[in-house]
Amino acid sequence: MEVKEKLLTKVKMPFCPGCGHGANTRSITKAFENLGYGTKDVTMVSDIGCTGLVDPLFACHTIHGLHGRSPALGVGVALGLNRSDKKVVVLQGDGGATIGLQHILEAARRNIDMTLVVYNNLLFGMTGGQMSGLSTNDFKDFKQSADDADPYDIVNLAHQAGAAFSVRVTDLKRYTEVLEEAIETPGFSLVELASLCTSYGMKKVAEFKEFVEAEEKLINKRPVGITPERNTKSLLDGMQGLTTQFTANIENRMGIVIAGSAGGGVQSAAVMLAQAGMLAGLYTTMKGEYPITVGTGFSVAEVILSKEPINYTGLEKPNTMLIVTEDGWHKVKDRIADNSLVMMDDKIKEEHTFLSKPFFKVAGKKGAALSAVSYWIKESGIFPIEALEKVIANHKYASALQDAIASSDKL
Amino acid sequence: MENSTSKNVLIDASKIITEALVQSGADVFIAYPITPSNKFYSYSKMRFPQFLAGPDEISVLQWMSGYAAAGKLAVSATAFPGLALMTETLNMAYMMELPLVLIITQRLGPSTGSATTGAQGDLKFLDGVISGGFPLPIFSPSNFNDAWTLAHEAAKTAVKFRTPVILLTSKEMVMTQKSFDITTLEPLEKIDRTPKAFEPPYLPYKSGKDRVPTFYPLGNDEYEVRFNSSTHDDEGLIRKGNPESMANTRRLKEKLEKRIDEFSFYELDTQDGANQLIVSWGISADAARDAVTTIRKSGKKIDLLIVKTISPIPPQIYEIVDSYKSVVFAEENLTGQYKEMLFGKRNIPSVKTATKFGAMLTPSDIESVVNP
Repeated sequence: MEVKEKLLTKVKMPFCPGCGHGANTRSITKAFENLGYGTKDVTMVSDIGCTGLVDPLFACHTIHGLHGRSPALGVGVALGLNRSDKKVVVLQGDGGATIGLQHILEAARRNIDMTLVVYNNLLFGMTGGQMSGLSTNDFKDFKQSADDADPYDIVNLAHQAGAAFSVRVTDLKRYTEVLEEAIETPGFSLVELASLCTSYGMKKVAEFKEFVEAEEKLINKRPVGITPERNTKSLLDGMQGLTTQFTANIENRMGIVIAGSAGGGVQSAAVMLAQAGMLAGLYTTMKGEYPITVGTGFSVAEVILSKEPINYTGLEKPNTMLIVTEDGWHKVKDRIADNSLVMMDDKIKEEHTFLSKPFFKVAGKKGAALSAVSYWIKESGIFPIEALEKVIANHKYASALQDAIASSDKL
Repeated sequence: MENSTSKNVLIDASKIITEALVQSGADVFIAYPITPSNKFYSYSKMRFPQFLAGPDEISVLQWMSGYAAAGKLAVSATAFPGLALMTETLNMAYMMELPLVLIITQRLGPSTGSATTGAQGDLKFLDGVISGGFPLPIFSPSNFNDAWTLAHEAAKTAVKFRTPVILLTSKEMVMTQKSFDITTLEPLEKIDRTPKAFEPPYLPYKSGKDRVPTFYPLGNDEYEVRFNSSTHDDEGLIRKGNPESMANTRRLKEKLEKRIDEFSFYELDTQDGANQLIVSWGISADAARDAVTTIRKSGKKIDLLIVKTISPIPPQIYEIVDSYKSVVFAEENLTGQYKEMLFGKRNIPSVKTATKFGAMLTPSDIESVVNP
């Protein structure tokens, strides 16, 4: 194909004399030029280390990021562009591939449409020739070998994670053709290029050559990973407005604590109480508290009902405490204030002098909290129980909730 | 309270902020789940045009930066443990001058602390999070209406100034539900992202008098662009220690501080003759509002400053604070972190703090410092 534009600038290669990175870089630009891509079609994402010096060598779009993170940055660029005619190529060394291994696996797993080229010289060239996770045992034992663990096979790892195309190529003459194949493969492609470091690798040329013989090419036939764009609706438009239909009998501000166990409908009973308060023209807040393991242990909710607008949403001295399980009791018993009205399920064994009611018995595990709320609404006369009935009228489980409310008649 | 057009609902600020960001034109939400930012995750999954579940917070902010460089506005929500992982990439996005919005829901630390307990303890970390002492725009809503407008301003500031912006909230601010009239939330306009005019030739980091370079995304068909995380010149190429690249780096501070008037938000409630001021922000602001009402009812004069642009510090904040004989800072943290931003750690007799660690600061906590 005709060369549209030169991707390689005339800037002098910044690498040490004889370094393999220069040949790698020329092979990449040659591949793009052979395929007919122009400077505005290609984005080069560069990492840190010697490979991170490439930006001025490219006449196309470039972005120079952090050590090891460039495959993740490339994922964002590829998904953000979302155009198969715009090519994203990430360049990193074996050090970058080690520190950012998770990013490579994630890009491969999702089969993001991009190409990662790993310049593998089996060491950290910029910081003194230290060993990386991709250094082979034969290569690394001459210096700084902290371990004899086998290196990552980055080509195979990417393949196992789902890369469409992953290849190790060590014959310089074939770099360009392999890169062309990688670039044209839809989805994630990884190309590992062997690259001798002339500053730190010369003492181990024979061991380097052994690594160079281990070519590998692996294919996964998979769909390209995309992130669909959706038309969504406003979160606010669908909300049902709660207009005043009942009268509240309340002096000013009242705080109610409902304490029970996970799965006992405490949080939803509190929401319904707050919404019923709104139907009675009150300002309300609802705050939940539960352990991180949301499916077990206590579940506590606080509701504030007020005739005046509510700023501060904390509740220092609860006016009413509705306690439906022992889990809940242990969580809130220290919060009982001098004038708190406490109503407790009669199954709670602790010694106490509070009003006991069989919430659990009349409404079951899931209905006890709502039964207690209903009982308190009726006893306190704060607003008509019909406000609560109105709240649940269109609920998915309206009949079960209505049963829980009605159960309070038996208390 | 209620009139014929009002629509009162029981709602939380996570929903308000999510909706505001989408209406402002945010394209994608990318996050790793963390308490207490969970509601942002679930609302965004329903509402954002694109949604991505990242494998970790480093990937999250890298992906967002990639989206940003490709011309999209990305949003995430996390808490301190996630923020800590994002720190290196936050610096990268700041240096590259990429617009993005990061919601931080503060919870009790240090470390993993108590995930479901609120706090205002991440401010000092954020104040110094950009290496070299560079300011990062931080907005903190003090109520639901702020949540709406500051979410929009966060997105606007991110785009206008080409910078990451922090929306600093806390557990009780974004998870507690309140009865609220959603008709008080004015519809928001999408933020215009058309590249602004520039003096040719186009260089990705060359700016005019407004100190913000014109943004073109990667992959565009008009100009080759470069983004760079290392010290760079106008062209976007690494240049160590040359005057152009150092000026470019200094500009990152100047573009925000010299144009702070364009995003200075605060609320000042005064009465004639008061010589004492309460200063508060975020979740503690509502406790301060209640405390002020009580103190005034008792016959004592008191003024209230609620700060919403937390960083950089608008010069008016210093002027206001300096005009009082004594000031009380009301915050839900150990030492008064906003106070320390203004005055340092040193003890100053006219500067007091009403603080609480591990629980919400109450109106009476504040009253007892004002009236010892």
